Amino acid sequence: MPSIGTIAFYATHPAQLRSIIQWKVWHNPVHEIDESKQTESLQRCFHFLRLTSRSFVAVILELHPELLVPVSLFYLALRGLDTIEDDMTIPLQKKEPLLRDFHNILEKDGWNFTENGPNEKDRQLLVEFHVFVEEYKKIKPAYRAIIKDITERMGNGMADYANNAEHNLAGVNTIKDYELYCHYVAGLVGEGLTRLFVEAGLANPALLKRADLHESMGQLLQQVNIIRDVREDFDDKRRFYPKEVWSKHVDNFEDMFKPENKEKALAVNAEMTLIALSRADDCLYYLAGLREQSVFNFCAIPQSMAMATLEVCFQNYDVFQKNVKISKGDACQLMTESTQNLQLVCEVFKRYARKIHKKNNPNDPSFLKISIACGKIEQFIESIFPSQKPPVDAKKNPASAQEVERLKKEANEAKWDTIYLISAVVLTIVVITGTMLLTAWMAGARFDIAFAQMKVQLGQLLGTDDAKAVSPKVSPGGHSEL
Amino acid sequence: MPGPNPIPSFGKVLVVGGCGFLGAHIVSLILKRHPQSQVAVLDLRTTSNRHASPSVSYHDGDITDASAMQALFTQIKPDVVFHTASPHFDAPSKIHDKVNVEGTDILIKAAQDSGVKAFVYTSSASLVIDASMTVVNADETWPLITGAAQPEYYTTTKAFAETAVLAANRTPSSFLTCAIRPSGIFGEGDVQLLPPMLSACRKGQNKFQVGANTNLSDFTYVENVVYGHLLAAQALLQTHAMLPTIPLDSERVDGEPFFITNGQPVYFWDFARAVWHAAGDRKTLRDIWVLDRDFAMAVGTILENACWLLGKKPNINRKQVRYSTMDRYYNIDKARKRLGYAPLVSLDEGIKRGVEALLEKERREGEKKAQ
Repeated sequence: MPSIGTIAFYATHPAQLRSIIQWKVWHNPVHEIDESKQTESLQRCFHFLRLTSRSFVAVILELHPELLVPVSLFYLALRGLDTIEDDMTIPLQKKEPLLRDFHNILEKDGWNFTENGPNEKDRQLLVEFHVFVEEYKKIKPAYRAIIKDITERMGNGMADYANNAEHNLAGVNTIKDYELYCHYVAGLVGEGLTRLFVEAGLANPALLKRADLHESMGQLLQQVNIIRDVREDFDDKRRFYPKEVWSKHVDNFEDMFKPENKEKALAVNAEMTLIALSRADDCLYYLAGLREQSVFNFCAIPQSMAMATLEVCFQNYDVFQKNVKISKGDACQLMTESTQNLQLVCEVFKRYARKIHKKNNPNDPSFLKISIACGKIEQFIESIFPSQKPPVDAKKNPASAQEVERLKKEANEAKWDTIYLISAVVLTIVVITGTMLLTAWMAGARFDIAFAQMKVQLGQLLGTDDAKAVSPKVSPGGHSEL
Repeated sequence: MPGPNPIPSFGKVLVVGGCGFLGAHIVSLILKRHPQSQVAVLDLRTTSNRHASPSVSYHDGDITDASAMQALFTQIKPDVVFHTASPHFDAPSKIHDKVNVEGTDILIKAAQDSGVKAFVYTSSASLVIDASMTVVNADETWPLITGAAQPEYYTTTKAFAETAVLAANRTPSSFLTCAIRPSGIFGEGDVQLLPPMLSACRKGQNKFQVGANTNLSDFTYVENVVYGHLLAAQALLQTHAMLPTIPLDSERVDGEPFFITNGQPVYFWDFARAVWHAAGDRKTLRDIWVLDRDFAMAVGTILENACWLLGKKPNINRKQVRYSTMDRYYNIDKARKRLGYAPLVSLDEGIKRGVEALLEKERREGEKKAQ
């Protein structure tokens, strides 16, 4: 039963409710699987997928059958890695080798791990990790190689960060470091997924050559999460906003959370938004390379959500106080719009770019750069779906002053030609009429009678009295023998 | 610096209109990037914007005077010509005909007769704007709008001049031409963009915004426009060096027009606000009144007519309303690919420099008055 507050919200925001109903009623999964027919261990894997991923599970379970299991396992492998990395109760000397060796663990029959702290939310996945291994060994070797490679690189990246005492104490230093961190935790996922899509023949192989594009896919998602979660991370003693950004406005990271520094915190927020926003056009470019609807949906939904989240966080000081989220109605509308085609996703990006632009503060140091980033998104969309075509009839416009003269002269000549032609016609009619009348008169026609009668008839038509008076006078007296 | 490495010398260079806003910046950047060049400046009056360097010579002259031009070109024998001369936008039609059309023809003829290798014409990005007053991501394949379809006579004459310059390419075969079409030039010494924007701000007009501010505009910092010109000249000289070989159609620079912008289209009022901010304005979004475009058009019509009767200049007119609410931006991929162009200075840095220079100039003038 929904709370009174919820009911009141939807009663006053019917459009939100409409989006939710539309999504629930009209969305048909592109592909569906019957989980009850799967092996027990795979069913258990899906269970863990549901448990560990609230935002991705729906899109993963609708994926093309060829990729459903590999992508699910890819997700679980990385989640397992993450569960070790996140757990502060595991000592470093134990954690590091685990992280560095995790790509081999994926293939170790019966491997599981029970040393996670009791509060680690996803610990059960590692407790029963053998179900993962069992299924992992069944997928195509090509997919396995990709998952293994990414797991290895990510594990090493995480181990480096875990080792880096400075990172753990002071957080991220430069924007470059920040993007490197996002590369390890998200950019690599983008690479792995792209390789899986191409391997399955569901994406354009050219995407493999454009590392910058799938990198941006991961960066945008991760950066938006970092921007949104700044409060939660701060409470957990983690800092991902690079010092290079916040130190321009505040002396200490924690100063951003003091209400008296609201303006400064929002300036940091604006610059963080700018860094994320500059990835948006790459993401649209990437989406253009996907060939299958379920893969498209899988990639497009999180991107649209990220744009919407970025917008709701932008210039919003609540981000530094609490957890900010997009509304459920907006989320449903975004899912509907992101499961159709690229053009609609472009519209979503444009809509949110303009919303960001509308909130852009002219006194913020990043003001013009954000405006430029929004303009870049709009221009990119225009380059793939142009709204204006070059005028075609303009091709016959004059190209020089001489041509204008010539056109003027031609127009003038044409005008005189018309005048001559009409004069000739009029003259011909006059001559013929005159000749006929003359001939008739010569033959004795009485035009005076004809004229008088015409006057009478005209008078009758107009219904005047004097016409009646005239008519009898004319008819007897005027007749003569012909 | 992005793009191809600058060659040390353009040889003898003639900058027509070299004492104007753009021309003076061309002279400076040539000296900076191609320091071994010999620069001659031709202008109606060469008193303003003079460069102190000894390798620049100044020549007073009128480009509509054919015999004087022939004589000057024979005397200087330039290798490269930049033709930047153009009357003010608001000048009468006759002047546009005389300078843009006839003057350009005379310069082309003189250049052809004196063995010029590269002729770069400063055209305008407005050439493709028609009565709909909307240009969204236009590229060089768009047709030129001239004659009755072109709302601005100035633009018609610029189009005629550009067509003449490009038609003269390779006649004779060693004479190479191209055209640069900049959009919304601003910067140090500009008279048409930043000064009116700043005076609008001082009149308090910056509390109004006409339209929804969703229209994107291309503004170009002057040094970037100049850089486009220099890259074009360098490309023409390189093409000249490989005569009689003609480059591939997809790589050609000679006979071609190029849009040059900052490659950073922004919402019109955002640009204005960035300029005002740089000049010290601190209005927030809440202080701004948004006027509906149609309403502003109606007000503009009434004021124009009322002021016409009174013989005054209106504070708001339809041209300004149209200009501030129109989409006007371009795709500069052709310049990026064929010229190796990329803007040297970003929009915000350009605004900072331009506004600072303007405020500095006002300070100096204020001091002079005070004395």
